[in-house]
Formats: sequence, C-alpha cells, structure tokens
Amino acid sequence: MMSRDLSFAARTRRYQLSNGLILLVLENHANPTVSLSGAFRAGEYFNPPEKDGLASLTSSMLNKGTARRSKIEIAEELESSGARINFSSNTFTVSLGGQALSHDLPMLIATMAEELRTPTFPSDELDKLKQRVIAGIKEDQDETRVRAYERMTQIVFPKGHPYHRPAGEKLIREIESISVEDIRRFYYNHYGPGSLILAIAGDIDAGEVRDLVEAELGDWQGAVPTSIDVPFTELQATPHRESIQMREKANCDVVIGHASRLRRLNPDYIPAVIANRALGQSTISSRLGLILRDEMGLTYGINSSFSESGIADGPFTIGVTVAPENIDLAIDTTLKIVNDFISDGIREDELQDEKSSIAGTFMVGLATNGGMANQISSIELYGLGIDYLDRFPGMVKAVTREQVNEAIHKYLHPEVATTIIAGSFE
Amino acid sequence: MVSLHSKILEYEGISEYRLQQNNLKILLSEQRTAPVVALMVVYRVGSRNEAVGYTGATHLLEHMLFKGTPTYNKKNGTQIAAVLQKHGAIFNADTWLDRTRYFEMLPSDQLELAIHLEADRMRNSFIADEDRQLEMTVVRNELERGENDPGRILDERVWAMAFREHPYHHPTIGWRSDVEGIPTTRLKEFYDTYYHPDNATVIVVGDFATEDALELIEKHFGGIPPAAHPIPPMYTVEPPQQGEIRFVLRRVGQLGIVQMAWHVPEATHPDSGALAVLDHVLSAGVTSRLYQALIETQMAVDVGAQAYQFVDPGLFSIDLTLTPGVRHEDAEKVVIEVLDRLKSEPLTEKELKKAQNIITTQMIFLRDSPFGVVSVLGESEGASDWKLYVDLPRMVTEVTADDILRVVNTYFNDDNRTVGYFIPKEEQS
Repeated sequence: MMSRDLSFAARTRRYQLSNGLILLVLENHANPTVSLSGAFRAGEYFNPPEKDGLASLTSSMLNKGTARRSKIEIAEELESSGARINFSSNTFTVSLGGQALSHDLPMLIATMAEELRTPTFPSDELDKLKQRVIAGIKEDQDETRVRAYERMTQIVFPKGHPYHRPAGEKLIREIESISVEDIRRFYYNHYGPGSLILAIAGDIDAGEVRDLVEAELGDWQGAVPTSIDVPFTELQATPHRESIQMREKANCDVVIGHASRLRRLNPDYIPAVIANRALGQSTISSRLGLILRDEMGLTYGINSSFSESGIADGPFTIGVTVAPENIDLAIDTTLKIVNDFISDGIREDELQDEKSSIAGTFMVGLATNGGMANQISSIELYGLGIDYLDRFPGMVKAVTREQVNEAIHKYLHPEVATTIIAGSFE
Repeated sequence: MVSLHSKILEYEGISEYRLQQNNLKILLSEQRTAPVVALMVVYRVGSRNEAVGYTGATHLLEHMLFKGTPTYNKKNGTQIAAVLQKHGAIFNADTWLDRTRYFEMLPSDQLELAIHLEADRMRNSFIADEDRQLEMTVVRNELERGENDPGRILDERVWAMAFREHPYHHPTIGWRSDVEGIPTTRLKEFYDTYYHPDNATVIVVGDFATEDALELIEKHFGGIPPAAHPIPPMYTVEPPQQGEIRFVLRRVGQLGIVQMAWHVPEATHPDSGALAVLDHVLSAGVTSRLYQALIETQMAVDVGAQAYQFVDPGLFSIDLTLTPGVRHEDAEKVVIEVLDRLKSEPLTEKELKKAQNIITTQMIFLRDSPFGVVSVLGESEGASDWKLYVDLPRMVTEVTADDILRVVNTYFNDDNRTVGYFIPKEEQS
C-alpha cells in the first residue's frame, strides 16, 4: 500500500515506442484522477525569420478543430467530463498538459492524439486567435514588469537569439502577417512523435496506459525532430542603464540582468541554484528581501533567478518593484548586497538552510499527480535518467561551500549588468 | 493523560474537534499518500470587520504577524519565514473580506514546527511601532502595484459603488491614507480583539496520525485562554439598491473593460448552489454562454463570471475585456441578452449536467493535494462552516433547470445592477 516507500525509479515505467515517443507512467492510486505532462521540440526557437509567434499560434490552433470534429464538439466532450487538455509553446518546446478523472483517461489520450495528429487549422479560428493574442500583447505592453524584462533581454541577448524578446509592436506586426499556410508549414516541419515525451501519473495501470498510447499514437510518423544548437551568450563588456517612461503607473519595476552562461546540464547547476536561493529567490527569507523588504520597507517584492537556464543559458535577473522616489536607493542597495555576497560568499548556516530547504521543497513538490508528472517529464527532457529523483537529495547534500562560492564567482556579474527601469517618473 | 478535546463529528473523511480549554475548532483529515502535511489557521476576521480610519488593518496586521514573537525572531536567528523556508515549506498568509488565513505545506516530520509557530503567533506577536512603519511602506508598494492594473481598480470601484453602507464597500488592502495613517496602537487593538482560539479554526490535512496531531495541537494551543470578551459582531446591513448604478473610470490603458454586478445572497443561502452552477454555465470553457456570445463573435477577448460566496450577501460579477474598436454599450447589451434568455428558456439537461460535472470533478482534483483540501475547508470556514465544502457537490447536483430560471429572474434585475466601464484614455502624442 505504501508505494511511496519505493524509489521513483522502481515506481516509474518507461517505454519507447517504435516511432521514438517516450512514455513514462507513475501509478499513484490515492485519488481517482490522472495528470499528464509532456513536451516535444516545436517551440519559438524554430520560428522562421520575421515570423515571431508562429510556434505559439500553431500550438494554440491544435484545439481549434480536427479532421473528425469541430472545436465545439471537442470542447463539449472534454468539458462535460470536467477534463482539460492544453498545449502551450515555450522557447524550445511545446508543452502538453492534461487532467481527467482516471476512468476518462482513454478519452483524454484519444482526444490529445486527435488534436496532435489531425488538426485542420480553420482560417476563421486563426483570425479569432490572432485578435486575442494581439490584445493580450497590448495588455502586457502596459505592464511595467513586462516592459522592463523585455528591454533587458534585448540588450543582453543578440538579435535572433531565442531569449531576445521582440518589441511588442514588431511582434504584433509579425503575428498579423501569419497565414494558415505558415501554420501548416510549421506543423509539417516540426510536429511529430520523434521528440515527444509523455508523462502520466495517477490512478491508472501502467500496462493499460502503454496500450492506449500505442493504439492512439504508435503509428504516428510526422516530422523528424530538428536539433537545437544555441551558442553560449557572452557577457556584456560594460554595464548599461535605461529608463522606460510609462504613464500613470504608481509603481515602477526595475530589472537588473546579465547573461548567466548557466544551463541545466552544467555540472555546477545545483551549487548555482543554492547560491541564488540564498541571495534572492524568496522575498521574505533571502538576503535581498531581508534587507530591502524586511529592514528597509522599500518593496513588496524582490527576487533573483536563473529562471530560463534550461536547454540554453538564460539570463541571471533581479526584479524589484518600488515607488518612483526609491528607485536609486533600491538599485544601489541591491548591487551592494550582491557585491557583498560575491566577496564574502555564502555563510555555512545559509548553505545548510538552503540544502534542507531544497530537500523539503522537493518532497512537497512531488505530493501531487501533477507535480510528479511534471518532474518526470522534465527529467526525461534533459536526459537526466529515470533514477534522478532518487539521486537528487544525495547530490544536494554533497554540495560544499567552496562549490557554491565558485558558482557565485562564475555566474554573478553585477559589474556588467543591464538595469532597466519602467514606470512613471518626473 | 486525560484527553481535553472532544470530537464533534466525522463527515466525508474529515473530523471536527474542539479543545475544551478554549473552544478552538480543529479539522483533521488523514491523507497518507505523500510524506507532506498542510496546516492552516483561519481567523474569522477580515476587511468586513473594519471601518473608516482603519481600513486595511486586517491585511497590515497579517504582515505584522511575520515580524516575530519572543520565540521566533530575527535576533535569535529564528525569523518565522527563514525557519519555514529552511524546511522547504510552501507558506504564506492572506486576507479577504471575511477571513484571514495563515498556512504552510511542509514535510510531515515538521508538523510540530508549524503547529508551534502558529500557536505562538496567535497571541505573542510583537506589534512594534518600528516594524509597523517599515511594513507600512511594503504594503504601500503592494497597493501601488495593484493600482497599475486597470481591471483591479475597476473591480474595487464596482464594490465601492454597489455597497454603500456595508463594509464590503472598501477593498481588503484598505484605503491608501488609512494604510499610511493607522497607528500601531489601533493595529494592536485589532489583534487583541480578534486573535483568540475561540475565533479560529486549525485545519490539518495530509500525512499524520489523528491522535498525534491532536496531542500536538493540544500541547501548543491548549494553554492559550479564550478571549476575555465576546468577539464583536458586525451588524451593518446593506439596504436594497433601488436603482441601477453606472460609472466610468477613465485612465491610461490598452483595452476597454465592462464589469457588471448584482447583489446576491450569503454563502449559506439555499440559492448558492444554483448561483455556482450559473457561474459555470456563463463562463466555464469554450461552450459557455458568454464565451459563445462574446468571444466567438469577436466582441471580447476575455470574459469571466464569478458568484462570490461570503458571510454576508455579496455580488455576482461579470467582466468583459473588449476587442479594440468594440463599444462598451454594445458588449453590455449582449450580456443582457444572454441573461434575458436565461430568464425565459430553461437550460437543457445536457448543459446543466455539464456545469454540474465541471464543479464536482474540480472538487475531486482538489483532493490531489493536501493544500487543495485545506484551502477549500479554510474558505468554507471563513464564509460559514467547513460542511459547506463537503455539501457543495450535493447542493450542486440537486440544482434543477427551474432553479436556474428562478435565480436569474430573482437577482438579475436592473434595479439591483451596478455597471462600470473602464475606458482607456487616448494616448497623448
């Protein structure tokens, strides 16, 4: 009964179908539900030049009608049973998510397969989708945080780099130009089972799931996966500071960022994550938050992160929200804290606290079907091995102070950071 | 050891107890599938218990409860957030109209830590003037972040217009000058009025043995005396609206918004089930009525409907984010047409069943996580009683097409309606 005492490797079944699809199944009979998480390589990275947003529109068109059924017919079936399927595109992959009562799993998998394999991309649906997407971009462009982050990526990453975000107006123009033909071509070139990972956790039988997936997706051929090759981004040579004037904003957002050169598969990824946690991951308990929020009362939120460190190296960023009159004080204090962290290193007590924190977070994150499905899918995406969840606590425990301090020196470079301030100032 | 707690009842896997020493209400549900546990303390105090001069007190006080006690504080190296963070807890606290809640989800071997910490800050928090001054500016930044968002301001105005006398009139974060001006002594008074075991519920869900949890709760909460005074009742009643209220909010922004709201009864009212179903019929998914009428026709890019369920009568609210170029009046007219149809034609069996299924399956998905369960139990405790949550699937399943017809005709009337338009100001060139 207490299957939780077994290792994750022992509980997870991994199958590879003849077309390349990898299926991972984790049985958890606690609640009559099932969660699905997955990914395949058809994200924004594969957009052709001047067609930003194409990958995203393509994934959003999957549930707009298939060869057999209209959008409404599909939605009717899913909604009637309280089930959900969603597709969304990221920088490199399209993510799949699904949730249903476990007895509806055959319907969930059949519907997902139908949407993946036989979408019809109706042109009236594309028009409606474009209109909503463009409205969403306009709303985003009105947010101080979005504007500051977007501008930072334009300075830190060269044009054409997957993390270099296009300006809102350019993105809107390119989305307006996308046709059903563009979508069909993108689908034809990038959609297929070759890089598809499906992770399913819940009240299910692994063998039955395998048979279902084989029946629905086993004979899918489609595009051959394209490889991803992104060069490491060089650090900027000099610091940069810029302000974006917006109107009637009571609050300003400041984003400080630079190229991190940290990827998920770097051998010192875990020490780098520990360094960031001690410095700024949590507004209420990390160094930055303890000073700027708790001691100085300057902000409701300050966080640092390596949030896009995955297949490619993303930025290291610090984001802080402040009233306009506190901008300089907030930036100067932030930089001083980061510089002290670099020169003094992590304290032993911080290291021990962060290690036990990661161990706890890890356990808490794996408490639900959705959490487990996400974890095993991501482990497969990075090729970390099915036993990674079992090895992870030991790897964290083994990290030394020297390793964290080396990571701090290697990955934190406030001396050449780009600082963007967005808001309304005098 | 003599047991000092009494079991009140057990229902749908949840057991209710009371500590005899101080009448603290306890809800426990063992869910031993993963080695984690979720704890929540709900206080029956929210912005409903505030008035002009100390609006936002509930929220500012909630911030102050992270500032420490003689046992857990920064000087000792035992700051509350740091201690919880160290154990990998997901934790926070939040406030709303009727309730304040403090919660943590953490590895189950740390349950005593969470219980001890929550028991400690129930009565021992420093409410120091120096801390209040610093925290006020933190909260002011939180308030300013909210002011950046036109949709949020419009919603605040709708409530402020629809409620003239009842304290649902003001937002939980408070009016800016109250947040800035409230003296520390007033906050302390607020704390001493409402933070007592007999005004709270402790909820624990996850990997523990009931007897052990009860023992720990008794050990740490048992010594806290009940309030020496009765908890002051909130007796203000909102009179009938007697006529439509309309207003315009004009600010910098991108997309127009229409928000419409109608007064509806309190959470415990028999019509709550029908209103919850109606909320889903109107806005849950692509097949819902408002999605079909407004998004499919490209008049709006976003629609939402919300049947709020509170201690006192609240609002049923519908909001639309307009497609550029669409007039507010035209979109509003479509909503009225959708509602008029619901007033005259009963729902089909299929449509009713779909909305009911969405609600009942959502309840099952919530049970996936101990935190999901404590959240809904806590919300129900805030609005009335936890059994509201347990009974919801039954209440929803019993709703008939006639009930929907009746509630739409009862509440969705012109005189009971408040309508706000957010109109983006033209950009200056």
